[in-house]
Amino acid sequence: MTTQVDRSGWSAAAPQKPPITQVGVLGWLHQNLFSSVGNSLLTVVTLLLLGWALNGIAQWLLGAFWAPVWENRKLFAAGPYPNEALGQPQALLLLLALLFGLSAGRWGSLLRDVGIGLAALLAVLTLLPLGMETQLRMGIALLLLLGGYVAGLRLPFPNRLLVGGWVATLPLTFIVLSGGIALPGQFTTAVPTNLWGGVMLTLLLTVVGIAFSFPLGVLLALGRRSHLPVVKGFCIAYIELIRGAPLITLLFMSMVLLPLFLPATAPSPPALIRVMVAITLFSAAYLAETIRGGLQAIPSGQYEAADALGLGVVDKLRLVILPQALTKVIPALVGQFISLFKDTALVALVGLLDLLGVAKSVVQQPTWLGVPGGVTREVYLFTALIYFIFSFGMSFASKRLEANLNTGKR
Amino acid sequence: MASATRPTFDTRTPFWRNQKVLEALAQVAFAAAVVLLFWFMISNMQARLLATKGEAGLRFNFLSTTAGFQIGEGIPFSPQESYGRAFIVGLLNTLRVAALGVVLASLLGLLAGMARLSSNWLVSRLAYSYIEIIRSTPLLVQLFFWYFGVILALPDINTPQEIPGVGVVSNRGIYLTALRLSAVGAAWQWWLLGGLLVGGAATWLRRRQLVAQGRVGSGIGMGLLVWLAVAGVGYVFTDATAGLPAQAAYELRRGDRGTLFVDSNGNGEFDADQERPLAYVAVTLVSETGQPLGATRTDGSGEYRFFDLPENAAGNRITWTEPSVIVVEAPTRQGFNYVGGLRMTPEFAGLLMGLVIYTAAFIAEIVRAGINAVPKGQWEASRALGLSGPTIMRLVVLPQALRVIIPPLTNQYLNLTKNSSLAIAIGYPDLFNVSLTILNQSGAEVQMFALIMVGYLTFSLLTSLLMNWYNRRIAFTER
Repeated sequence: MTTQVDRSGWSAAAPQKPPITQVGVLGWLHQNLFSSVGNSLLTVVTLLLLGWALNGIAQWLLGAFWAPVWENRKLFAAGPYPNEALGQPQALLLLLALLFGLSAGRWGSLLRDVGIGLAALLAVLTLLPLGMETQLRMGIALLLLLGGYVAGLRLPFPNRLLVGGWVATLPLTFIVLSGGIALPGQFTTAVPTNLWGGVMLTLLLTVVGIAFSFPLGVLLALGRRSHLPVVKGFCIAYIELIRGAPLITLLFMSMVLLPLFLPATAPSPPALIRVMVAITLFSAAYLAETIRGGLQAIPSGQYEAADALGLGVVDKLRLVILPQALTKVIPALVGQFISLFKDTALVALVGLLDLLGVAKSVVQQPTWLGVPGGVTREVYLFTALIYFIFSFGMSFASKRLEANLNTGKR
Repeated sequence: MASATRPTFDTRTPFWRNQKVLEALAQVAFAAAVVLLFWFMISNMQARLLATKGEAGLRFNFLSTTAGFQIGEGIPFSPQESYGRAFIVGLLNTLRVAALGVVLASLLGLLAGMARLSSNWLVSRLAYSYIEIIRSTPLLVQLFFWYFGVILALPDINTPQEIPGVGVVSNRGIYLTALRLSAVGAAWQWWLLGGLLVGGAATWLRRRQLVAQGRVGSGIGMGLLVWLAVAGVGYVFTDATAGLPAQAAYELRRGDRGTLFVDSNGNGEFDADQERPLAYVAVTLVSETGQPLGATRTDGSGEYRFFDLPENAAGNRITWTEPSVIVVEAPTRQGFNYVGGLRMTPEFAGLLMGLVIYTAAFIAEIVRAGINAVPKGQWEASRALGLSGPTIMRLVVLPQALRVIIPPLTNQYLNLTKNSSLAIAIGYPDLFNVSLTILNQSGAEVQMFALIMVGYLTFSLLTSLLMNWYNRRIAFTER
């Protein structure tokens, strides 16, 4: 307005500053909170309600009784896993920290973001007064994670080594946690699977679920897109049947029916294995649908080009189709993995002592019977917080990845 | 397939390289593997069941056996009834919590989704926090928190929290004040139903008129207006004409309880299968000397019971006054409990609360994504046409957003129904919980799991059919 060509002979007015209500803090407040009468009213009412709620929460937090959480910290971490054998999961943690650091350094992206979160978690655990020995081990894990990251960035080791390391980790986890293969003069303790618990079990169930249901999901998705009617029909029936039923029915089914399906002479598998079977079979059906979405987004020209290059069925899928299809659905896959993580809480209903199972048992400890108002709220809020840290961290990292990949943009 | 490229040699493809043959073989092999696996599992199962339970191990006739356990929720059920009926009760309980949950979660989800899109920073952030916190924690943990941490921590039934006009809140249940149609007002429901028909016709006519005039609108407003008018006229008419029938009679047992009914056969006794009870009528117990001893009201089935009677008070008859068409039934304390009003058990309240709060967070995200999916140009074009904010929302944005919203929304409804099976964690007798009780008592594992699967698959199928029908209705119709 003020920059018109001066024809009148009057001197042009000096450029004016924008009104104070448009810039700075006031401008922000005006735009975001008080842009109209209705909006201002909404802000005030919301503030009042929020203040009232926060006041109530603060009052409760001040009076809350956190002893059950603190005194049972080992139970929350590892369940009834024997104290003298705790070195086994801790050794595993060190190995995983190193492997994760190396992978994050090598591949970056989602892994680096998750790695930052894990490093922060380990740093907190190092600083918490958990006892000298535990703190020291958490500190070493943190150093291994960071050192691994730097090494992954700098050292020229082949990727195959890392992949091999991860593949070997899963059986190794079972061997180390159960106390290894019985050797004469060993210094590990044999720990049966029914003593595995806490966050450790929750994470183990998640990882096993992902590791087994992902390949199964890929196969089911490919089968559903197959033009062979028998294969296609089977895959559709499987996917729809599993998706139609709640996970809890599958869990109970595998607890009750799975032993029936085995020969009378076979020993019935431990509860942990039955639960893992249920989670894997359940998750595979959902993953298959997500992966199918990715497959459908691949133009048929890609199939034709692979055919023209003379690639066989396996090579065509492995080198051309799946890499593209899976990249397209990474955010959705991460979402599925997060729901799998949350769904593992259901194993508490079939008697396993995962994180939620431990919380249930802590609430029922006779020590807290006399606490006025009970300790349920404190214990379940703490449990929810742990679940929240992991799944929100994952979804946050996934959102960043989505922004980088630009696949989430409509 | 490509055999025509080798004209000088034998042009027939050998069968081991013929794709058709290979595919057929692959399918046969696959089918054989699947059949073999199933045969292995089923023969093992049969062998085990035969060994432990004999021939009965795979039959369904256990369903007619007496159940022997109680179900404290849903349609009346006594332990003498059969397993089959118990299963039906569970099925209906799932349906009840799922139907109410779907409605409430949709409303809360819509509200949270709109708040998330609000230009008000505070409101938007608040909605964001709600959505993220809820979506990032397992439903089961939330259920435990709501049920054990909140509902069961409500005031004891002896010192309940009374909210005037709303009801009573305690850890034994939530009792809401309800509006009931009294015995006098029974005729009014026919006015309500008739009004629905007339209102429907009015909607249809109004829509035709609007279309003829080239205007937009569904005509539903006119329909509602007509329905309300019919209902209003009906209310006044019923109130003015109806009264309690002259043959009204009562039974008085043990001096403090009985039934008020229409004694149509004149025998002075209540024959439940022939005679109509009189619901929600205020009754007073009167002593021989004509002194009023206590007052109460009949319930939905015409039964009444006087509490807090003075010591040695002998009432020998009751009197009653004519009630209005609609009666406000507030929960009242009788003995150690509350009666009247709408009762929600703690289990139902906890489950509903958990399901609604959890699912609504997901629905909010779906609503937000749906509205964001409508291109900005649509808003701008609508504004350029001079449409106002709410009109843009109603006529331009929502119809387009709904097409994006409906498919994932269907999924959430299905999830809510399936998640209601977590009822077992807090003891609400839903389909799964009741089935598991039956399974434990009868030992019919295979049959009960088959029934559970059929139950949930039916729910899924019905919801899908309904939502797909709606989706087709609102889908983009191309020429």
